[in-house]
Amino acid sequence: MASLSTLAFLMIVITAMVILIFRDWRINTAALTLQYLAVFYLVTLSWPIGLAIVKLIVGWMATAAIGLTCLRQMDDSPPTESTSSLFFRALAGLMIILVMFVISSTLQDTVFPNVDLVIIRSGLMLVGMALMQLGTNASPYLIIMSLLSFMAGFELIHAALERSTLLTGLMASVNLGLALVGVYFIMKSNDRDELQKEEEGK
Amino acid sequence: MTLSTPILWVILPLFISLITGIFYRRRILGMILTCTTGFGLGALAAFFPEDLVISIGPLTLNFVENLSILGRQININYQILPFVAFIYFSTGLWAVGSIRPSVPESFRPTSLVITALLTAALGVEPFLYAALFIEGAILFSVPMLSPLLSKTHPGILRFICLQTLALPFILLAGWLLSGVETLPPDSPLIVQTMIILGLGIGLWLAVFPFHSWVPMVSEKAHPLPVSFVLFIFPTVITLFSLNFLDRYTFLRTSQGLYQSLRSIGTLMIVLGGLWTAYQDDIKRAFGFSALSETGFLLLAIGLADQGGLSLLLMLFPAHAVSFWLWGFTLSLIETRADSRSIEVLHGFAQRYPIISSGLLVAQLSIAGLPLFATFPVKIALFSEAFAVRSGLGVWIFVGSLGLFFFSVRLLINLVTPNTEQAITSWVLTEKANVYLPILLTILAVIIMGLFPNAILTNITTILTAFGQLQ
Repeated sequence: MASLSTLAFLMIVITAMVILIFRDWRINTAALTLQYLAVFYLVTLSWPIGLAIVKLIVGWMATAAIGLTCLRQMDDSPPTESTSSLFFRALAGLMIILVMFVISSTLQDTVFPNVDLVIIRSGLMLVGMALMQLGTNASPYLIIMSLLSFMAGFELIHAALERSTLLTGLMASVNLGLALVGVYFIMKSNDRDELQKEEEGK
Repeated sequence: MTLSTPILWVILPLFISLITGIFYRRRILGMILTCTTGFGLGALAAFFPEDLVISIGPLTLNFVENLSILGRQININYQILPFVAFIYFSTGLWAVGSIRPSVPESFRPTSLVITALLTAALGVEPFLYAALFIEGAILFSVPMLSPLLSKTHPGILRFICLQTLALPFILLAGWLLSGVETLPPDSPLIVQTMIILGLGIGLWLAVFPFHSWVPMVSEKAHPLPVSFVLFIFPTVITLFSLNFLDRYTFLRTSQGLYQSLRSIGTLMIVLGGLWTAYQDDIKRAFGFSALSETGFLLLAIGLADQGGLSLLLMLFPAHAVSFWLWGFTLSLIETRADSRSIEVLHGFAQRYPIISSGLLVAQLSIAGLPLFATFPVKIALFSEAFAVRSGLGVWIFVGSLGLFFFSVRLLINLVTPNTEQAITSWVLTEKANVYLPILLTILAVIIMGLFPNAILTNITTILTAFGQLQ
């Protein structure tokens, strides 16, 4: 059990780093899918599988909605980026990991004494990386992905604190709502570009 | 036959908004449906019998105040109905303005969804789940603030980010609050809980430094949806926040909390006022003025011991008419003026005197000019703040001065003749469907300012819903 928890934690750290560093929607969608799997496993430590699986299904639905929209709407060619920007984001990610490692134990002692440390660490990693991502880019699909990651991190910790069917349902609605907003943004930027091209053609 | 009040004020409007959404391109139909629902449900809430029984001929409808969903409840009790009436009336009012073709088609259905979700948020038990309904309302406001064929501006992304970040803070604060009630008042956990709660509500209300989306969205989005969002969210969230004071004694009795609210409110008034003063874009100026008004809401809660809560509730209707007038006149100006820059509005008042008057009255009402809607409340707040600490009063005066300064700049630019224009004399070019709503709203603004006790005090009965705050 402990090794599986550690594995889930490592998967969360790696996927969060991948989403932070790379800008290719294919890589990010795959990372988000794996991230939800890891979150699901950690939620099962606090909730029965029947309820925890809601998080996995909703997370995958949200990822699928964004991924499929990107597949239809975005360019096939992966975005080109300088090594220095990748390096900068990786460095920022490592800094977040360090900070979260330091504060997680303190948080467990003072605020969440009954919550497993691996859950707190995983949740904080997701929250921290998502906040860094939100602060460093303005691309709609990355912002929505970061918000989904942020919510996943929060839900992971909150699941260890409270269990409610209505809350789970409402959280699922919020996650799907965020994904739909993301789809809306991706579609609308593309529709507008097409409209502009048509007008220029005339 | 037994029905529940949440079916009437939550489920029914959601259903009607679905119909309006299906026929979203049919402007007149959408407007009629939204107006009828808004004004109808508003009137029903305003005149609902206390025994919750409605008899229509042989049919007797018994209402219960709650609806169970997945083991939790939504309660819309009789005490909160005046507020429900108020927000539905306001939704109807905004729906009237949506008749203009420039208003996004998604505005009518989504405004109704937002009102229904916010009504549910006021009644859900445990009350902290309201955060999720509010988040739902925020997500629904995206299409009307950023329509499909417009460019996605950074402001709307920032709006989504900052508003969504509030949700975890509120839920976490809820969990912490359940544990800290029994702790001694000097426990550090109490301060931590208050900080987390403050962050959540601060993010929702766009309190400085989380305010950046307000002028950005205000500048880029259509003025009518913007005015609706800037009116309804702070109004409902402020009322929702009173639940915390009502339920938790340590919050209610914390003088530090009230002091902080007064200081933050004053800071918002000063920053909002000063930022407004030097704006060139009239839409951005509206965003900053709205921030200043949020400051007044926080100040009113901070002055709870001095009767600030009644003043807070009295501000709501004054805001509704002023914000509506702002949104409506700005949407008209946007389609008629060459630019939104205040400098380019020379001669506009000569060509469109009623629209210009509407904008000026809205701005002056928000600034708190005597005889206008917000004046009686703002002067009372100002006096109380001055009595508590003279420094607060001075800063509030400085902030209000900023709003007045912008109003004067606006007036000068609107009436200065444009020498390049053919029309140099004053002519009435507006049609009845433009000037009638404006004139009626100006009249409402003046009546509210002249007879505050007759018009504004009715809404203070809502305080009976908060047993500990009366």
